[in-house]
Amino acid sequence: MAVYAALVVAVVFASGTFLLLQRDLTRVVVGIILVSNSAVLFIISAGLTRGAAPILPLEDEGASDPLVQAMALTALVIGFGVAALLLAMVYRLYATHGTIDLEEIAAAEMREAEALERTDDPEREEIPVEEQDPGDGPR
Amino acid sequence: MRDGVLIVLPAGIPWVLAALLAFVDGRKRWVGLVGAAGLAASLASLVWLTLVVLREGTVETVAGGWPEGVGISLRADALGVTFAAVSVTVILASMLYEVALGVRWRAFPPLVLLVAAGLTGLFLTGDAFNFYVFFEISMTASFVLAGYREEDYQVRAAFIFAVVNLLGSVVFLIGIAALYSITGSLDMATIASRTDSLDPRSVIVVAAVIFAAFCLKLGLFPFHFWLPAVYVGSHPPVAAILSGALANIGGYGLLRFGGGILPRELAYGSAAVMVLGTASIVYGALQAISRRDTSEVMAYSAIGQVGYILLALGVGGPLGFTAAVLYSVVNSLNKGVVFLAAGLRGPFVGAAFAVGAFSIAGVPPAAGFVGKIAVFKAAIAEDSAVTVALLVVLIFVGSALSFLYSFQVYQRRFLAPREGEKPGPLAARLVVLSLAGLLLALGLWPEPLIYLSGAAAEVLTGAGG
Repeated sequence: MAVYAALVVAVVFASGTFLLLQRDLTRVVVGIILVSNSAVLFIISAGLTRGAAPILPLEDEGASDPLVQAMALTALVIGFGVAALLLAMVYRLYATHGTIDLEEIAAAEMREAEALERTDDPEREEIPVEEQDPGDGPR
Repeated sequence: MRDGVLIVLPAGIPWVLAALLAFVDGRKRWVGLVGAAGLAASLASLVWLTLVVLREGTVETVAGGWPEGVGISLRADALGVTFAAVSVTVILASMLYEVALGVRWRAFPPLVLLVAAGLTGLFLTGDAFNFYVFFEISMTASFVLAGYREEDYQVRAAFIFAVVNLLGSVVFLIGIAALYSITGSLDMATIASRTDSLDPRSVIVVAAVIFAAFCLKLGLFPFHFWLPAVYVGSHPPVAAILSGALANIGGYGLLRFGGGILPRELAYGSAAVMVLGTASIVYGALQAISRRDTSEVMAYSAIGQVGYILLALGVGGPLGFTAAVLYSVVNSLNKGVVFLAAGLRGPFVGAAFAVGAFSIAGVPPAAGFVGKIAVFKAAIAEDSAVTVALLVVLIFVGSALSFLYSFQVYQRRFLAPREGEKPGPLAARLVVLSLAGLLLALGLWPEPLIYLSGAAAEVLTGAGG
């Protein structure tokens, strides 16, 4: 049983890792979901015991471990919330750039940054600030 | 009963307040001020808790009135309260700073409060899984914070930050599940006592997994790749929170899990820990020197600075752990000061930045000197003469390099006054100045800090042996 559990966890974790390394952001999110679910599977398999339901077990029979289920539920909820957050971020990037390819987004940002350097940007420091001052440019 | 309430307050106040403030518009000034007041109350209760802990020893309670060993235990010892107090201090300063500048996001105050609640919660827990839950609360809030102001590069940085740190969290969760599997308990003290009797070969794998997870949080050299992009993209107070408060999870986790729960495995891998620390110091310093942008320099400097913590951890023992705690505290204050000062202009800011830079370089009278001295002392206490020589050389070279990059930044940014630049709001400058003043005060009168770090190290060595 432990071997099968380990095998399943390994396959899920590995596929998640493979997806994490993709350029497509939705695949990255799916990868994270898979990886976090492999952790849930790992928690379950950390307490693989057979026994009665752990609600008020009778004295003579052993109960199965309730703690791993509580942990797995907590981890699932956390993973769900974070996945939603990540998807919102991906949508936000898609809405501005029209693409979810990480390299295309980076390229678009480079173009924007170059455009910003030429124009007014109070956030950027050093050189642009000097350039934007038309009044005192003795150089 | 009094202790039971007291231990809940530091995390409880910001938590409840965060839930309440989520319903109102955080851009209004009073909302930010209420949030800051909540943080101040949390800090006050932490100070009180620290006094109780120092006088009467570890404060412990079990949540929900469950019998001991069944319910989730909350435990406040010197190590936890030290980290919690310094983290909340940095978060409070960042909050006040942002309120002075004008909050631009309605969710900003509740998110900052949630980071504080998560951090204090994880520092004051005695349960490994509870640690993970609080850790996720603060991490998730900080993922959102990293995208503060919604510039595109910030959202992308937040995405990278979230993905990399989630991977770290999952690895940590697997480590906890593995600890549960081999010891059958989630209580840190029970795990610590049970791992002692296990075959070290089975525990060392788990220890390595947990170590990797915390190094990822800390942004240590081979796990640092996400850090510069995030710190450079973030708004100054957010960068201060991430680097000054959130990074403490890594340092605390390494101390708690490495020094407190798995001390034998830590001693086993101390050479590897020291090598990683060394690589981090050298890499961070060299990269920082070659950068121009202030926040980029400080981001790489952060990678280098955590190397010292790891070095002290690798040395181990009472001296090493004291140095690691001391250095973590000083480092997070340093980072708070420099990141906050880097976002402002005007009188006082240059002075505050100079104090932060002095402190990073380890020049007296700033508190960084105390931290460096402690690491230095720990290094000399090492057994073999070769290691001592190497460590001493490394600490000197590292300090010299950090002196170099700190003052390169200072020179470029503050020494040459430019015409036509508006100074930042006075309140924000005063916040930065008072944080720098704290750094200076701790450098001039370091006894309380040294005593606290010593007590924190005692917690670890007491639990380990």
